[in-house]
Amino acid sequence: MVPAMLNPIDITLNATYIGNMQRTDRYTHNEAFGENIRKLREQRMGSDQTFSLRQVAARCGVTPAYLSRVERGDVAPPGEDTLIKLAHELGEDPDVMLAQAGKISADLRSAILARPQLFAELIRAIKSMPDHAVLRIVRDVRDGNW
Amino acid sequence: MPTLEDDTLVFRFSEIDKDASFSIDFQRTLRIPDTDKTYSLPPGLGSFPLRHAEDFASNLPSQTSERGGVILPMWQAEAMWLHFRNDGPGYDLYFPVAIKIAAGKINAVTGETWRPGLHRAPQDYMVSPDQPWLDGFAIEKGVIRQFVAMPLGAGYSVEEQLTSESEWGGIQISITPLKKHVWKEKRAAWEKQRSLRLKRERICYLPSKSSMKMGLAAGGRMRQKIYPDTFNLGDWDQASAQRVFVTLVHAKDWKKITGDAAPNEPPTAKEYSAAGLPWFEYYGKDREALPGGEKFGAIKSVVKIFTTLTGALLPNSQDIETGVPHAVGPGSKGARPVRTSGSWDQ
Repeated sequence: MVPAMLNPIDITLNATYIGNMQRTDRYTHNEAFGENIRKLREQRMGSDQTFSLRQVAARCGVTPAYLSRVERGDVAPPGEDTLIKLAHELGEDPDVMLAQAGKISADLRSAILARPQLFAELIRAIKSMPDHAVLRIVRDVRDGNW
Repeated sequence: MPTLEDDTLVFRFSEIDKDASFSIDFQRTLRIPDTDKTYSLPPGLGSFPLRHAEDFASNLPSQTSERGGVILPMWQAEAMWLHFRNDGPGYDLYFPVAIKIAAGKINAVTGETWRPGLHRAPQDYMVSPDQPWLDGFAIEKGVIRQFVAMPLGAGYSVEEQLTSESEWGGIQISITPLKKHVWKEKRAAWEKQRSLRLKRERICYLPSKSSMKMGLAAGGRMRQKIYPDTFNLGDWDQASAQRVFVTLVHAKDWKKITGDAAPNEPPTAKEYSAAGLPWFEYYGKDREALPGGEKFGAIKSVVKIFTTLTGALLPNSQDIETGVPHAVGPGSKGARPVRTSGSWDQ
């Protein structure tokens, strides 16, 4: 069992790639996350005017004022549903965006909580492996006789 | 070899390009009424779960384990569509693949018996990303009959109707990449143009063991074109093709086989339309469609066979009003939405 003082989610988050952000420094984290969102949105807006703050906020179901505060780092990153919408809007991988926000998706959370010790050990074991080695862990679909 | 990731089959061709990959997921959907009316595209209601067949070998017929691949649960008379996704080095350059799909080893595009390799005259495969999905058997030009699951051995499946056998069932998939030099040329041309244009295609994703198996039968009529290949047949690297056998098992047996709860039964088309939810019409590039498989001319639909066998009408088979469909595809402003979150588990 995982020791009582350690939340399995925290174990996983600490071991998971979260960019160059420090989860312990919430102010810096919010600011870095917001800056990244603003940068991505403004890049898109360079070629497509529908990526204005107002229009992106509307498509993600939040107010422009709230999105502006997220981009300035005044508030913590939004919840999972909004983050996933933002990721799709900005052409980012939802899991990467969730990790940058210091979160993990509900399906991963429930998978980890079902077997917390196993997943914590697994992530610690693979955290420094190169990508190609990690990809080998994803099992091939066996072909048979047909 | 393909991999199974998050209920999706992923085919990587890293020997051709590190960015070259393609994936298929199997979307739950409404069964459209099986009448003379030709319907628009129904929505995707989330993906079917997939599991490695070898993980549950002791709970499956030995034949299923020998075929390898994956297992997928479907309710009787439930419909599905196959959702194709291409990846590549940029959001406007996707790695093209040739896709062969069969049900019960009957080619879904031509109606011919499965054979290895790609063929023309008639073209027995599709090319993605031109072809974003497949909802059924291509019975005529621009029209398919929806994939509908029925127990194998009961006489409904297209395999049984065309071969008088119920040997295979399931879905067979083969994915063929472009040859390396053809892809390199295509990629080089794209990289040259890259600085000249910045375009973004937005994707808004917003019993007994033998009776476990299901086969795909022909459901209602739906508007869907199968596009001809614009590459040369020799451009495809047939030696690098990857394939998967998807065994369909009855959803009522899913928990017994895997230990996981089966997905709930999907809503009916009538319930969906009554809720005012949208149907879709694909606006592709202005291209001709393949003619459809001649052999499918002899196929009877699920409702016809059900009525012949029982004298009754299959429930939820009456025509419904679908309203004006939403336009999707490159000739419109969006992609066919797929529900990517939520759960169908009980």
